[in-house]
Amino acid sequence: MANEKQALERMVLTRALRLNATVQGIVTGLVAGLGVFVATNWLVLKGGPTIGPHLGLLGQYFIGYRVSFVGSLIGFVYAFVVGFLVGYTVGRIYNWAVDRREHKRLGHA
Amino acid sequence: MPGAESAEKHVVVIGGGPAGLTAGYELTKFDLRPVVLEKEGLVGGLARTETYKGFHFDMGGHRFFTKVEEVNKMWQDVLGGEFLRRPRLSRIYYNGKFFFYPLKPLNALLGLGFFQAVLIVLSFIWWQLFPYRREETFEQWVTNRFGRRLFLTFFKTYTEKVWGISCSELKAEWAAQRIKDLSLKTALRSMFIKPKKTIKTLIEEFDYPRRGPGMMWSAVKSEIEQRRGVVRLNSDVVRINRTDMHVDSVVVRRDGVEEVISGTDFISSMPVTHFIKALDPPAPSAVRSAAARLTYRDFLTVVLIIDKPHIFDDNWVYIHDPGVHVGRIQNFKNWSPDMVPDPSKTSLGLEYFCTEGDKVWTMADADLIEMGRREIDRIGLARYEDVVDGCVVRVQKAYPVYDSDYREFLGVVRQFVDGLENCQTIGRNGLHRYNNQDHAMLTGMLAVRNLVLGEHHDLWSVNTDQEYHEEIRERVTEHDLEEVLEGTLTEVFLKLDRVAMGLSLGLTSGALLFLATLILVLKGGGHVGPTLGLLGQYFPGYTVTGAGSMLGLLYGFVTGFVVGWCFAFLRNATVFLYMAVVHRRAELQALRRLLEYF
Repeated sequence: MANEKQALERMVLTRALRLNATVQGIVTGLVAGLGVFVATNWLVLKGGPTIGPHLGLLGQYFIGYRVSFVGSLIGFVYAFVVGFLVGYTVGRIYNWAVDRREHKRLGHA
Repeated sequence: MPGAESAEKHVVVIGGGPAGLTAGYELTKFDLRPVVLEKEGLVGGLARTETYKGFHFDMGGHRFFTKVEEVNKMWQDVLGGEFLRRPRLSRIYYNGKFFFYPLKPLNALLGLGFFQAVLIVLSFIWWQLFPYRREETFEQWVTNRFGRRLFLTFFKTYTEKVWGISCSELKAEWAAQRIKDLSLKTALRSMFIKPKKTIKTLIEEFDYPRRGPGMMWSAVKSEIEQRRGVVRLNSDVVRINRTDMHVDSVVVRRDGVEEVISGTDFISSMPVTHFIKALDPPAPSAVRSAAARLTYRDFLTVVLIIDKPHIFDDNWVYIHDPGVHVGRIQNFKNWSPDMVPDPSKTSLGLEYFCTEGDKVWTMADADLIEMGRREIDRIGLARYEDVVDGCVVRVQKAYPVYDSDYREFLGVVRQFVDGLENCQTIGRNGLHRYNNQDHAMLTGMLAVRNLVLGEHHDLWSVNTDQEYHEEIRERVTEHDLEEVLEGTLTEVFLKLDRVAMGLSLGLTSGALLFLATLILVLKGGGHVGPTLGLLGQYFPGYTVTGAGSMLGLLYGFVTGFVVGWCFAFLRNATVFLYMAVVHRRAELQALRRLLEYF
C-alpha cells in the first residue's frame, strides 16, 4: 500500500496529462462561437451609421456572415465549427506528441 | 467453517487484553477451546477497569469508537445494552484557561490574550519565512510548521512529559511518522471530498460501557468460558519452549508453581521483547539484542476522590503547565456516571508518564497521592482540602516508544517472529505498534482467520496503513465512488507537457495563419487582405501573398509554440503551488491532532 501511494505521487510528478480531444474541441468551439455571437450583438446593440466594419471582415472567411443578429447566429455556427476543429486538432497533436516523447523517454530508461 | 483439522487444534493465547481475548472469543466461534493466559488477576490489559472502594477507573481512557465494522459488531454482540452514548470533550488546560483540542485558531488566540496572540502570529510568519534549514528534532519540525511561540505553548511541555526527554532530543522522524500517511492523495481527498457525517458524529461522541472498558473484557471472558474455552488469571508465561521454529509449549508460573501448557498453535499478545526473551532455546543473539533495544513508556494514575459533585465538563484534559508533573487528567464521572458510586463525589485520574523504575514510578503511593493533591490545587481544578481519598495504579508498557532506531530493531524481531511456524504475535505490545483498542482487536481477529481459515493477513500492517481497515469497513459502492473520484482528481493534477503543448498550439496556429492568408490570396481582389496584412507589424516580411502564407506558417508556429510552452509552464507551476498549499494545509490539520497520538 505504501508503495502504491509513492507510485501515485511519482505518477503525478512525472506523468503528463492527456487531453480529451473531443472535449477540448467542444470547449474551444463554444468559446469561439459565443465570442463571435457576443461580439456581433454587442456592436448591433451599440448601433451607429456603420456597424462593425472590421468584424464584418470575418465574412471573408465565413460566407454569409455579417454584423447583424442573424449574422451573429451564423457566426456562432461558423466559429463553433472552426473552434471545434482547432481545439480537437490541438488535443490530438498534443496527445500524439506526449505519447512520442514518453515512448522515447521510457525507451531510453 | 472449520473441518476436522480445526477441531484438533489446541490454541494457546498469551495475554488477556483486548487482542488476546478477542482472539480467544473468535476461536470459540470455530468450536475451538482456547486457553487464554493472563499474567494479572484481572482481564483487559491496558484497557482494564480498576476498582477502589466502589469507584471504577479506566487506565488511559478508552473510547469505543471504531471504523472497523467487525470490531463494532463484536462490541455490540457482547455488551450492546450496556453501552452509553457519551459526548466527547477534551481540552487543553493552560494558565487557568481551557483551550479546545484539536486546536481551534480563534479560541486559542482569544484565550491567550491579544498581546500573546499577536506574538504567536508574528512568530508563525517569521518561521514560515525563515525556517530551520534542517529538521532533525521534533522541536525544529513543529516550529517550522507552527512557529516557536505556539510550539512552546502547546507542544513542548506535554510532549516532554509524555516521552520524558527534551523536544530538542526527540527525533523529527517521530512527528513525521505520525503524519506519514498523509499522502498527496489523502491531502487532495481532504480538500475535495467532505468527511462523512457519521464519522464526524462518532468523533464528537462515543460509546462507553457503563462501568468502563473492563466491563467489556469481563463479559468476553465469560463468553469464552461459556463456550468451553479457558481464561486463566495470574498466569505469567515465563518460558516458551520451541523446537527450531516450532513452538511446542509454554511454561506458566502461577502462585510460584510452574506448569507446562502444550498447544498446536500459539497467539501471543505479550510484549514482543518479553516474548523473545522467554524463548527456549533462546532466539539468535542478533534478534535478542534487537528486541532488547525496543523500549516502552509507562504511566501511573493517581486517583483522587473529590468531595464535589462536579468539577469540569471534559472527559479528559491535557495539562500543559510546566510547573506540574501531571500530564493528563481523566474525569471518570464524565465518561460514565456509573464509574462513581456516590453522585456527590467526583473521581479524577491524574496521569503521570514515567518509565518503570524511575523516580516517579518508585515513589510511595502516599507520596504520589500527596503530590497529586498539591498539583490539582496548584493548577486550580480542585482544592487540596476537597480531596478526601485516593489510590495509585501503575500501568506498565503503555506506549511502545518510536525512537529513531526502533524500525530497524523491530524489523529484525519481526523477521524472526514471522519465521515461527505455529505462532503469531498480536496487539499493541505484541507487535510493538501504537494500536488503539479496536486495531489491537482486529489483529486478534485476523490472526484467528490466518490460523483457522488459512488466510494471509499481515498483522503488522494493521493501522500502519489506514486503507487496510478502511478497505474492510467500507461498503463497496462508497469505496468505489471514492476511488473513482480520487482517480479523476489525480488525472486533473497531472502536469501538462510543455513541449507537446507548444508543438500542438504552434502547428495549429501556423496552419490557421497559412490558411487564412491563402484564402484571401485565392479570393483575390484589388487590395488583398489589408487588415490581415497588419500582422506584418509584428511579423517582419509577412504579407498577404503566396510567399507570405509560408512565412505566416512559420511565424504562426513559432508564436503558437512559445504561447503553448509558456501556458503549460505557468499552469504546471500553479498546480504544483496549489498542491503544495493543499498538502501543507492538510498537514497542519493532522498536526492539530498531534496530542491525540499520545
